[in-house]
Amino acid sequence: MRTITRAITALIRSPLRAGLLVGVLAVSVGLTLIMITVDGAFATRLDDIQARVGTSITVRPAGSFGGGFFDRGGDNNSGNANSGGANGGSTNGGGNTSSASSNQLTALADQDIGKVATISHVVSVSSLMTARYTGTGLESAVQPQRRANAPAATPAAGAGGFRRAVLVTGVDDPASLATLGVQNAQLTAGRTFNADEANANVAVLGQAMADHNALKVGDTFPINDMTFEVIGTYSTGTQFGDNSVFIPLATAQTVFSRPGEIDQAIVKADATSSVDQVAADIRQALGQDNVDVTTEASLVQSISAPISDAKDSSQVGMIAALVASAVIILFSVGLVARQRLKEIGILKAIGASSWHVIGQFGVETAVISLIAALVGALATFPLAQRVANGLISTPSTAGFGGPGGGGRGGPAAAAAATRVGGLLGSIDVAVSPEVFLYALAIAIGLALLATLVPAWYVARVKPAEVLRNE
Amino acid sequence: MSEGVDGNAMYTVVAEDLTKYFKSGSISVKAVDNVSLRLPRGKLVALRGPSGCGKSTLLNLMGALDRPDSGSLVVDGTDDAHLKGQKEVAYRRRKVGFVFQMFNLMPHLSAIENVKLPMEFGAGAKDAALRARAAALLGRVGLPADRHNRRPAKLSGGEQQRVAIARALANDPPLILADEPTANLDSKTGALIIDLLRSLRGQERTVLIATHDETIAREADVVMEMKDGRLLADGQQPERIRV
Repeated sequence: MRTITRAITALIRSPLRAGLLVGVLAVSVGLTLIMITVDGAFATRLDDIQARVGTSITVRPAGSFGGGFFDRGGDNNSGNANSGGANGGSTNGGGNTSSASSNQLTALADQDIGKVATISHVVSVSSLMTARYTGTGLESAVQPQRRANAPAATPAAGAGGFRRAVLVTGVDDPASLATLGVQNAQLTAGRTFNADEANANVAVLGQAMADHNALKVGDTFPINDMTFEVIGTYSTGTQFGDNSVFIPLATAQTVFSRPGEIDQAIVKADATSSVDQVAADIRQALGQDNVDVTTEASLVQSISAPISDAKDSSQVGMIAALVASAVIILFSVGLVARQRLKEIGILKAIGASSWHVIGQFGVETAVISLIAALVGALATFPLAQRVANGLISTPSTAGFGGPGGGGRGGPAAAAAATRVGGLLGSIDVAVSPEVFLYALAIAIGLALLATLVPAWYVARVKPAEVLRNE
Repeated sequence: MSEGVDGNAMYTVVAEDLTKYFKSGSISVKAVDNVSLRLPRGKLVALRGPSGCGKSTLLNLMGALDRPDSGSLVVDGTDDAHLKGQKEVAYRRRKVGFVFQMFNLMPHLSAIENVKLPMEFGAGAKDAALRARAAALLGRVGLPADRHNRRPAKLSGGEQQRVAIARALANDPPLILADEPTANLDSKTGALIIDLLRSLRGQERTVLIATHDETIAREADVVMEMKDGRLLADGQQPERIRV
């Protein structure tokens, strides 16, 4: 107790020096605590993302980028293959309904799916085929902006004379909308397909599509000379997500004249740990050069890269701040100890043991460290969130596919992106009271470290020498 | 010197062939050169000599602030020359009290806290008891009570030296070592301090003052003179030199 009293008295004899030391140390300790907190938030978020990674594997013909809205393929409306551009997002309107051929460079076949289904650890394989329809039977709910001086469009065409294609996806596993890459979709009316409707002319429409075309459950609409009945509508809450049409796979192959062709297969592995092995087996079974096999894990890894990068940055910052704290207190206490060599000599001359002197310096550094750590911990509350926001850049999940399989990665990627997308936009940094425990640990560590300096001096100081030089 | 530790009951300090070198690079200087002496108990002893003659070094050896290179030194029955660790600390705490030329008080502590400090290093008496003893010691050296809680910077030189003397008495040591205690004081205050130091000698306590001041030497019971590290009056016959 006497040592503590003496140490505190020694500290407050120079309040400016003590205050400056506390201030500088508080900044570095605070930064350390902020980085620890932010790092913890990032780690938690990455864990969340990892936990949401599914076991889906997307298999597509090599070099294709899905039958998506913005990517590949032409339109499947006016009879023969009339548009084979690889990047045709919209085509000239006016095409009439008739059978269409695929513009896909290659396609998976039923026998490919059969091979995949026999691979061990594969639980299920669902197939889909996507086509763009620009006929007059349905009109996209999303239309291009019309230029001010553009001629009036025909009723069948969009603004500026262009008609936005309608994405039509044929699926063989319609039990859950999740398999379509629209995990957040909710049926707003009707139902999805059942097993008896594999070849039926039935359709599930996105709500925006249904509204735009004034369709509701029980209504019918034409696609390429076939009439479809709306049996359900769904909503994802997004305009693009709700601008799709789902029909049974076999029906789609028929209506778009692509018998036996499959654009993508979504394979489910039995466990996360099996995903990589299953993906490798698929590549081997179908040929490494023939298919692109994408797992959700790899997609999620690239999607969550900004958080990983930010986490790395926070760790580097944490270490740097901790080292800075150590250097600051070592340097400061070293200077103070050098200035107080005479005091050390006097204390030893009047009967203080080395431990008495070291104890006094130890208490002084402990008090400084504790105050600095407390200030730093309190600063963590208002600053941690800002630092986290500054460290992480908002990632984009665009291009990872959408409902119906558009974009890189297709529906599985879209599903993964959808699942993790909401976790990427912002990181909520909750500063817990544990930060005070970290602060205490840092303070104790710094105090112990800093006490080494005076301990070294105390051990070396010979009272006669320092008093002789007075 | 043939007497053992127990055989020197009438002397507080018995030194035999005490030698201390200081090295500066390749040069070695003999600061204390084969000094043998005996300091009788209860006397005020003046160690006189010019600056640099080795007085302070000899005091440091007696106070265990430094170690001799050779020779023996027994203070109040304790072999001072070979102390280490806790024994050395206990020796400094119990056997000697230092009074420095520059007072060397702790600037952040009050007068009474400075006096209390050496007592705090020992086994724990209650703080109130230590404070009472410190106050009594300050009273004994003549520091007015209203100065007890002042810090050194708020005290005059003479008052600071009184506090330093009270601090030296804190653990009631048998040997007080005063190194030029009046060098930073005016002559009148210096005389008062010497009177005070003189009053401290008693049956069990020896006061050794290192000084180059003739007037102090006149007040001493025993005067020894050093030159170039050697003791001119060798202390074999205390009180032989009575100025």
